[in-house]
Amino acid sequence: MTFLRTFLVVLLLIPAAFDLPARAQQPPPQQQDEFIPIEKLPPQDQLPAAPLLVAAYSFVALALFAYVVSVARRLGSVQQELNRLESELKRSGRT
Amino acid sequence: MPKWFTPAVVICGLMFAVAPILIAEAPYESTMGLVQKIFYVHLPSAWMFLLAAITCGVASVRYLFGGNPRHDRIAWSAAELAVLFGAITLVTGPLWARKAWGTWWQWDVRLTSSLMGWMVAVAYLLLRKYGGPGSDKLAAGLALFGMANVPFVYISVNYWRTIHPTTNVVPTLPTSFGVPLWFSAVTFLLLFVLLLRMRIRLEEQRTRLDALYLAMDEHR
Repeated sequence: MTFLRTFLVVLLLIPAAFDLPARAQQPPPQQQDEFIPIEKLPPQDQLPAAPLLVAAYSFVALALFAYVVSVARRLGSVQQELNRLESELKRSGRT
Repeated sequence: MPKWFTPAVVICGLMFAVAPILIAEAPYESTMGLVQKIFYVHLPSAWMFLLAAITCGVASVRYLFGGNPRHDRIAWSAAELAVLFGAITLVTGPLWARKAWGTWWQWDVRLTSSLMGWMVAVAYLLLRKYGGPGSDKLAAGLALFGMANVPFVYISVNYWRTIHPTTNVVPTLPTSFGVPLWFSAVTFLLLFVLLLRMRIRLEEQRTRLDALYLAMDEHR
């Protein structure tokens, strides 16, 4: 029983022992003592809204346009096929 | 096409020309700024996505219990619109979230259930295209799951912890935000009706074509 207890305590301490040096290496959180304008941030930290907005509106326009074209083309080809068949039937006198 | 179709196309085109002006004149939201303007296409397309899923589900129920092929044609057409408007919602949402939340995607209940609803609509179309005979009934059953998901998508933000705004945002919108939103919503609704009518027409013509081929075979 004592062995089991010791084993469990060691088992719990192992991750903590590995974690301690990692925690010691982390710098303490710094308090903010100034405000930095967004223009002064490095370019990779600035996230402009305009490209995201343009991308969203462009996608909407493209998706709707592509769908309308797709339905119109399908409708056109079916209509063409229908006209061809109907005229074929009329010519052969089967109407 | 019915008589109202051409005037409705003209009105819809004019509304799509006016909507960007109203959206541009709407004020910037205090915390999100310019990127919040995605809202005016994201929300109406999300509503149309849910409306398409409901239309598909109701038409499928009527087809399953009534057997009228017209309802099947409506369901198939609405499923295609659910995929279209769902794709718009699922693309514009992350583009907005990247700036507003600092992340493209969150596996929260609203986003995940919306993605699930869209995948059900995609599955419906795949089933209709590659399912073979009997796929109409099977797809109609699938559409019921898509419809059952709709209230879950809508109310999920009020019951689960999520960073997505709740449904209380729209009723409390100031007029300056509300006017462009409702104008955009009506424009999308009109577009939805027009596209649905066009798509149903395509199915009607395909049915006529099949009937003609059958008639020709019988005469041979």
